[in-house]
Amino acid sequence: MDVDFYRPMRLNYQNNALQDEIKAACDTDVERCLECGKCSGGCSNAHIFDYVPRKIVQLVKLGDEDRLMHMDALWICVACHLCVDRCPSQINIPSIIDYMRQKAYRQGIRAERTNIELFHELMLGLVKKNGRISEAPLTISFNLKSKQYLKDAGLAPRMFFKGKLNPFSPRVKDISQVRRLFIKNPRLKEV
Amino acid sequence: MDVAYYPGCSLHALAHEYDLSTRLVCERLGINLQEVPDWNCCGATAAHSLDHSLNVALSARNLQLVDYIKMKEVMTPCSGCFSRLKSGVTELQKVSVREEAEATTGNSLVSATDVKVYHLLQLLTEKVDHEKIEELLVKPLQGLKLAAYYGCLITRPKAVVQFDDPEQPTSMDRLLQAVGAETVKWSHKAECCGGGFAISQTDIVVDLGGQVLEAARQAGASAIVVACPMCQANLDTRQRAIEAERARNYDMPIIYFTQLLGLALGYSPKQVGMNRLLTSPNRLLKSMSA
Repeated sequence: MDVDFYRPMRLNYQNNALQDEIKAACDTDVERCLECGKCSGGCSNAHIFDYVPRKIVQLVKLGDEDRLMHMDALWICVACHLCVDRCPSQINIPSIIDYMRQKAYRQGIRAERTNIELFHELMLGLVKKNGRISEAPLTISFNLKSKQYLKDAGLAPRMFFKGKLNPFSPRVKDISQVRRLFIKNPRLKEV
Repeated sequence: MDVAYYPGCSLHALAHEYDLSTRLVCERLGINLQEVPDWNCCGATAAHSLDHSLNVALSARNLQLVDYIKMKEVMTPCSGCFSRLKSGVTELQKVSVREEAEATTGNSLVSATDVKVYHLLQLLTEKVDHEKIEELLVKPLQGLKLAAYYGCLITRPKAVVQFDDPEQPTSMDRLLQAVGAETVKWSHKAECCGGGFAISQTDIVVDLGGQVLEAARQAGASAIVVACPMCQANLDTRQRAIEAERARNYDMPIIYFTQLLGLALGYSPKQVGMNRLLTSPNRLLKSMSA
């Protein structure tokens, strides 16, 4: 679905349903926002976000799920938690971002401008298969699937000779216990 | 002191030297580590990005295994794992979340919610007397000017972690000072390195990691000391890309704090895996012995 990112934010589609949903799921009340902007001032990635933390809180107040689920910030937030620790009202913005990302994922809304979602899926695929991950196979499969064939070609030999790449896939012995967690939570898409 | 040990995936591959030096330092300080049997990946950061219930379940199995070997405390040297296990306990203390995770894992999780989760830095700060470290000191780290780098997840979010100051932490500085090193005052000790985006969105790591390297250089540090395998990997493996981006040569060794503690406690550079770092710390180590 195309989203018009230049559509102005207006209070006229005020809708409290999302606000209540966030309050229950994230244990955080956006009504307490003082609009001081400390969250965005501290944000590690504010300079590349389409919506900075303060605007994200505003979008929740406006009930604008559409924007929240399509924004780049869902995927490129580094979860450094500076925003929540600086917030004088303890609004848990990382938790709001996690919640909206998971909701978008359940509805099949893909990240539009990054491959980060693909990386998460490949990593969890390895956890499901082996119970543990090692960086080398994960990096290779990600670079192949995202068609960045030569991305780490210069780095790999340097790391190999330092013994940093473990070519063997580590495994949990009782793997059925781990697979059970995935079977009971079937939302992950196979890639 | 007996404590359960959760190394996490990185310490068995990319960050093998962190595992080596952690085990050596703990042994010397009288901390008996019992590795959690058959532990699984904590899921960071993929699981909590896509599926909350799966994320809690992955932590729940690990916490249940700690409880299974009758331990009440678990330590991990990885900030990502620490964050997952610690918030796992917090989540599982909610009855509805716990009941869902019990149905998923097929095990009772009542006593697993009493497990106390420590980051290694926190364990060495809160449970080990620094005077004891000074007594065991063999080779003081004199002449080293270090930037202690904590990153995000050791001290944040403060409501969950409850350790040190969220933005101006001092625990690692004090440890390094206890073994004779000098630590610099700098702006980026708890800023983000780009975390889990090393592979998936490398430009973010080059950007944020570059700011950390530059801040350490401006503060006059000759090495950055880390307590997280992701911080180490980002700042070390992406250092050449950062240098190209910023047109500046940093040549900044990124060293685990346990490697330096290990040296100070009498182990050799080889024993603590100094040879495994991409940016060579050799010049720095020579300046120390001089």
